[in-house]
Amino acid sequence: MSEPFLQLRSVSKSFGGVRALAGVSLDVEQGECHALVGENGAGKSTLGKVLAGIHVPDRGEILLDGRLLTLRGPADAVAAGVGMVHQELAFCPDLSVAENLALGRYPRRLRFLVDRAAMTERAQALLARIGCDLDVSRPMRTLTTGQEQMVQIAAALGTGARILIFDEPTSSLSEGEAERLFELIAGLKAEGVTMIYISHRMPEVFRLCDRITVLRDGERVGTVPAAATGQDQLVRMMIGRPLEEYFPRHLATSSERVLLRVAGLSSPGRFSGVSFELREGEILGCAGLVGAGRSDVATALFGLDRRATGQVELDGRALPLGRPREAMRRGLALVPEDRKRQGLILMMGGRHNYSLATLDRLSRFGLVRRALERREAERSFRELDVRTPSLDAPVAGLSGGNQQKVVLAKWLARDSRVLIADEPTRGVDVGAKAAIHGLLDRLAQRGVGILLISSELPELLHLSTRILVMREGRLAGELSRQQASQESLLRLMAQGSRAG
Amino acid sequence: MTREARWSRGPRLQEAGLLVVILLLGCVLTAASDRIEVRGETVNNFLRFDNLVPNVATPMSWMAIMAAGATLVIISGGIDISVGSIFGLSALGAAAVLQYMPVDAPAYAVLPVACAVPLAIGMLCGLINGALVVFLRMHPFIVTLGTLSIFRGIGLVAVKSKTLPSLGHRLPDAFTDFIGARLYYGGEAKTFIQPVPMIIMLACIAAAWIYLSRSVAGREIYAVGGNEEAARFSGLAVGRIKLRVYVLAGLAAGIAGMVSAGFYQSANTATGLGYELTVIASAVVGGASLTGGRGTALGAVLGALVIKLIENGIDILKMVDLGLFAFYVSKEYSKIIIGIAIIVAVAIDRFSEYLRARRLSR
Repeated sequence: MSEPFLQLRSVSKSFGGVRALAGVSLDVEQGECHALVGENGAGKSTLGKVLAGIHVPDRGEILLDGRLLTLRGPADAVAAGVGMVHQELAFCPDLSVAENLALGRYPRRLRFLVDRAAMTERAQALLARIGCDLDVSRPMRTLTTGQEQMVQIAAALGTGARILIFDEPTSSLSEGEAERLFELIAGLKAEGVTMIYISHRMPEVFRLCDRITVLRDGERVGTVPAAATGQDQLVRMMIGRPLEEYFPRHLATSSERVLLRVAGLSSPGRFSGVSFELREGEILGCAGLVGAGRSDVATALFGLDRRATGQVELDGRALPLGRPREAMRRGLALVPEDRKRQGLILMMGGRHNYSLATLDRLSRFGLVRRALERREAERSFRELDVRTPSLDAPVAGLSGGNQQKVVLAKWLARDSRVLIADEPTRGVDVGAKAAIHGLLDRLAQRGVGILLISSELPELLHLSTRILVMREGRLAGELSRQQASQESLLRLMAQGSRAG
Repeated sequence: MTREARWSRGPRLQEAGLLVVILLLGCVLTAASDRIEVRGETVNNFLRFDNLVPNVATPMSWMAIMAAGATLVIISGGIDISVGSIFGLSALGAAAVLQYMPVDAPAYAVLPVACAVPLAIGMLCGLINGALVVFLRMHPFIVTLGTLSIFRGIGLVAVKSKTLPSLGHRLPDAFTDFIGARLYYGGEAKTFIQPVPMIIMLACIAAAWIYLSRSVAGREIYAVGGNEEAARFSGLAVGRIKLRVYVLAGLAAGIAGMVSAGFYQSANTATGLGYELTVIASAVVGGASLTGGRGTALGAVLGALVIKLIENGIDILKMVDLGLFAFYVSKEYSKIIIGIAIIVAVAIDRFSEYLRARRLSR
């Protein structure tokens, strides 16, 4: 048997005492698509970044094509032919696509002038290679996330990458964009490009990858062929125990009492004529493609959209729009879509993030009652099983699942009647996801009305009493739990739109 | 929760580091300065009470008060470079009103006026800054660059004589005697300290410290500076919080202006010219991060102390003899050395941030 194309030999990496990788060995064959899966904090992103030269491993060695690689920085990795498609995009937003693709390697004329024609031509050629048709003079800022990703891939291949690393590539893509990405990956595989695919999402891993390596707590649990492995087996390997099947209990209790009544809610350019009712103790799902206006409705209900118009009634009384504090006082809570940008103050500790929405209750004479605050945060974090080195450790260092739990804890502290949860499980690991589902279910049992916005149809189908579908800023329909299925939802979500 | 201590030490580490810097600076200056003869005793020219109190602690008082105000603004993610002008205008305003009161007016009549005028001017200036930042959504650097010039200009236009009190007038004794009150020691007419500016400084720092570390309002400032969007999504009134911060920075400059006017028994149109540099430098050396979300009141006062110590060191050292080589320092070097100190402080800060980020990234 020939040598594997890429070999990792007991690679270890720690961050100030926290072990991210503990002696991971891994073989990747030439031309295969190799998945790295594991819960958040399992070390899969770290492993990807080690290969891309972003982190320098403490111990261990990497061999590419039988040659020892010494990666002291991203430039070394690029030179060795390793390209990475990042979760966070690394471009200059105000430069054009062509300029970004030429960054640092401008074609020159007369030694110091940029040869614009050559630059445009090269950019077009790079994009054409991956079958992407894009006006290269557009500023990067105007691209969708999916388009930016295409540009990243083109850039990596343009530097002669022989191995491409994808880190959670679909986490912020719409279904249509994700589909295009999958086609591209299949095409690249046919061309013999070796790929390492880091993801949580089981269906895409099974669809795209040949072999799957599971990491847990920085160690390699095992490598299995995708074709001969079931999802359940993989989940067991990831979390180290079987995941019990769980039936939401809130469905057993039902109430006719309407908590939130929305009529004709509109915001110019975002959504219009949205009307629905949310009852006590129900989880009302909200499906739609990215950009359908679901999060905009959530923000408007919370009062952060000053141009929103329409009637909203909370618990039978009119709720004025555009006043978040009033909405909070009346018992409305919003767990926003983007936890890093909207949900958390990353440099602050868990305790301070926890109390941010309840400072009025946790203070006396304008001074924070710190002992009470600490006690409450401790209790809440214990209840939600938030794993943090301390109450004051910056939340930036927590895993996605723990960060999301902190955001949930912050809003649970208000004992709200209505909870709008916008993508509460995006980018969290399997264990945390189950915990969050259980939590939403318990809240609904207690009578809280929950509006659950999610791009994951299985999640909506699993938890919701009813599901609203939004399309292009309007309500496209409502399905009962019995009527709803992946197919019926997708049909409503995409009907008449190009993305289909 | 057992490994708590390691993390919660983060911000305090900064101040501990500053204390070490201050001690080192003190040791270096003590070692480098001459022995001089004072009242029959040989003492160290730097490390002596009648250098450190009148030449360092007292003149640092108004700087530290303004630095505490600047720290609030910087924590909120903004910047106020008009402090020097607000300081000057408040001092001028206080002098302009007080000079028309009888010289022997009683304290109960003088002191309320002496407080009300400069503090009101300071808060009004801060309100203008804050309103422009919040309602016109302009960048605070641009806004305060404009008001830096405007507030200074108002003083120049209004005070033709350049200096107040104008010829033939004096500030009431009740005011100047209060701010400049002398505490004698050693039984001589020449040996005294003037503690009131320092007491006012300590009171302001204590207030700022409680405000920032214990109050809801302070917590809100950190939140807005740490992530404005998340603060908004937590239901905080971001505009009001920002407005409050600029008003408080103006108030701090007003208090400092009052102290300065009383201490020097006068104010002139150049009072506070260029102070913004020292004030912002104090805040930054004290650990406030210009990207917002970080900084402490204690840091601000320690930062001001570092800068005053450097200035004082340059004042008293004629020649530094380090054994291997010796060089002359003249007063003109102080700006260069303070500039270097700012850059070094921020570089150390960046470096520790980098280490922290490396520890956290996974």
